[in-house]
Amino acid sequence: MKVLLALLVVAATAARAEDLKVSRRKVVSRDGAALALYRYAPESGGGGRPAVLLVPDLGFGRETYDLAGEGLAPFLQRHGRDTYVAELRGQGNADAPAAWSLSEWTTLDLPAVVEAVQKAHPGGPVDLVVHGYGGALAVAAAPKELAGKIRRVIAFSPAAAPEVPNEIARKLLSTPGTLARAVPERQFELLFARDASIHGDTRALLEKEAPRDLGPAAAKDLLGWMEKGDLPLGDGSTVKDRIGAYDRTTLVILPLLDNWAHAEFAEPLRAMAPRARVKLRTLSKLYLEADDYSHLGMLVGRGAVKDAFVPALAFLDAPEVAP
Amino acid sequence: MRWAWTAALLFSGCFGAYREPLPKEAELHHPRTPDGWELEMVRYAARPEAKGRPVLLCHGINTNGRNMDLDARHSVARWFAAHGREAWTISLRPVGTYYGKEGGKTPLSKPTYGLDELVEQDIPTAVDYVRKVTGAPQIDYVGHSLGGIVVYGYLGRGGQGIGSAVILGSPMRLDFGGPADQLLPQIAGMLSVDWAIPLKALSPLGIPMADLVPENAQELLLFNPENTTQESMKKLAMEGAEDVSIDLLQQLARMFKSGELKSRDGTRDYRLALGSVTTPVLVVAGKRDRLATVPAVKAGYLALGGPKEWKLMGVENGARADYGHMDLVLGERADTELWPAMLDFFERHAR
Repeated sequence: MKVLLALLVVAATAARAEDLKVSRRKVVSRDGAALALYRYAPESGGGGRPAVLLVPDLGFGRETYDLAGEGLAPFLQRHGRDTYVAELRGQGNADAPAAWSLSEWTTLDLPAVVEAVQKAHPGGPVDLVVHGYGGALAVAAAPKELAGKIRRVIAFSPAAAPEVPNEIARKLLSTPGTLARAVPERQFELLFARDASIHGDTRALLEKEAPRDLGPAAAKDLLGWMEKGDLPLGDGSTVKDRIGAYDRTTLVILPLLDNWAHAEFAEPLRAMAPRARVKLRTLSKLYLEADDYSHLGMLVGRGAVKDAFVPALAFLDAPEVAP
Repeated sequence: MRWAWTAALLFSGCFGAYREPLPKEAELHHPRTPDGWELEMVRYAARPEAKGRPVLLCHGINTNGRNMDLDARHSVARWFAAHGREAWTISLRPVGTYYGKEGGKTPLSKPTYGLDELVEQDIPTAVDYVRKVTGAPQIDYVGHSLGGIVVYGYLGRGGQGIGSAVILGSPMRLDFGGPADQLLPQIAGMLSVDWAIPLKALSPLGIPMADLVPENAQELLLFNPENTTQESMKKLAMEGAEDVSIDLLQQLARMFKSGELKSRDGTRDYRLALGSVTTPVLVVAGKRDRLATVPAVKAGYLALGGPKEWKLMGVENGARADYGHMDLVLGERADTELWPAMLDFFERHAR
């Protein structure tokens, strides 16, 4: 009986995945690094609304937005949004040059993928969905490299004011590039998926895919950023400087059980970016949500559709408010 | 009629089982505030001998000094006393008797009160009283929830007599995008400031229900059952529940709407004033605290001038379970996982 049920679940998942129209293409960054861009084109054609570009967090890839046909990318596609997922250097199917650094995300990769999306949707800005530390890098790119190209931003735990989250994270990052050790060392669940809303099978699938090693330079950058609270970028500015100039309408989602990019690292974005219109949404069982949610739980947990995706879509679809 | 008697007997049996008198060594004191309230304080002598400054312990909203001294197993006060620190609990004004500003001897009907009165009257009175009785020029302070907020207010006004402080789960802004952000200030605004929510009478009524509804509102809001037992919460409902002044509630509820915590007349911003604090403060948050969430507690820490330290009580930092709001003072392992770090902080900052 159990086998039959499992087969049914696999068949249903495969059918859902098959239903999705996903195409993959290569985008080449200015320094030659090959990045991956996946398109989830809706049957309706997008209805003239801005395309949505989803960027996973450092150490993760497309699986955080599309795990076996389930996730925010297919959700947005099903709701008529032309949706893209990018894998930047160090992620999934993108290149991982030997000594890549975090500033290259801001100065090279994000501009490259946004430009690629805009080429397919000429004339309009793009809506951006970002996550964790990678999310803060995208926010930092918005006022400069992405200026005029972004309409709205949904940021899941964007670590705008990071600290070393715990000694487990410090240990993983200080042996440079060995973030993937979180799985064999049984720290994956504690750091990234500590909520009951993630089904055991889902967690197992995630553990197969992520987290990925960052590479020594990027790991050193990330740990330094956590320790100092700021990260120098290639042009002499820092992430904090850039966030100070950030002005996009933004929904920040705060999961209380995030042990990687804590809610208290993300919340200061509203004070750090006084020109932006930042709306917060705390995920809490107290508000009758399915869980308090972890770093990955808010994207792949059982209640994610109701608690995170529906509010995210409502935010994207909301009419513009006069400043 | 018979069923009513049976129910009453069951209930009284229920309630009686959770009664917990103070121990013999507890010494009651009643200092009087300048505006006419007699506060209730309990003193525990240091054992075997005093090794540092006395510690004043202050409870949160909707409770009293028993929050810090529930029973022999769950008592921050008795723990500090057993570690060489004379310990004092305070019960803020709703517990005490009101005699009027003229210092009369006949109890008068209790007037309403807000945060300003706790900051300007109760805390200075308690701090001065402990210093006077013990002869200590400075004392240390532990505040849970509202008990932390009031000492934040006091420290922002100079913090006379406090050597160092520990803040446990005290929010300094509450506008983090939950449904309560709009709803709670509106509800609080509709109530008369002369009224108080009668939680002292209502809390025990929830005792028989507590085991029947898993993940009930009290559990979601106040504690993680992996840390704090239902038995402790029931005992607290019997011994430690107090009414909540609407005036106080309205002041605190503004933190949901605007994120600001201001004096009633709007001239003093309590969070902003923390920038001038030079008293060493350790701020502690519970990872699974849904009432004073980690960002809400961190807001106070970030606003403090310093020296300051931050401690997050969760599995990621070595605790056996993530801490909820009450777990910081009533948790089964708080005496080994948290309180030693508080004592260590006091000792490192003893001048």
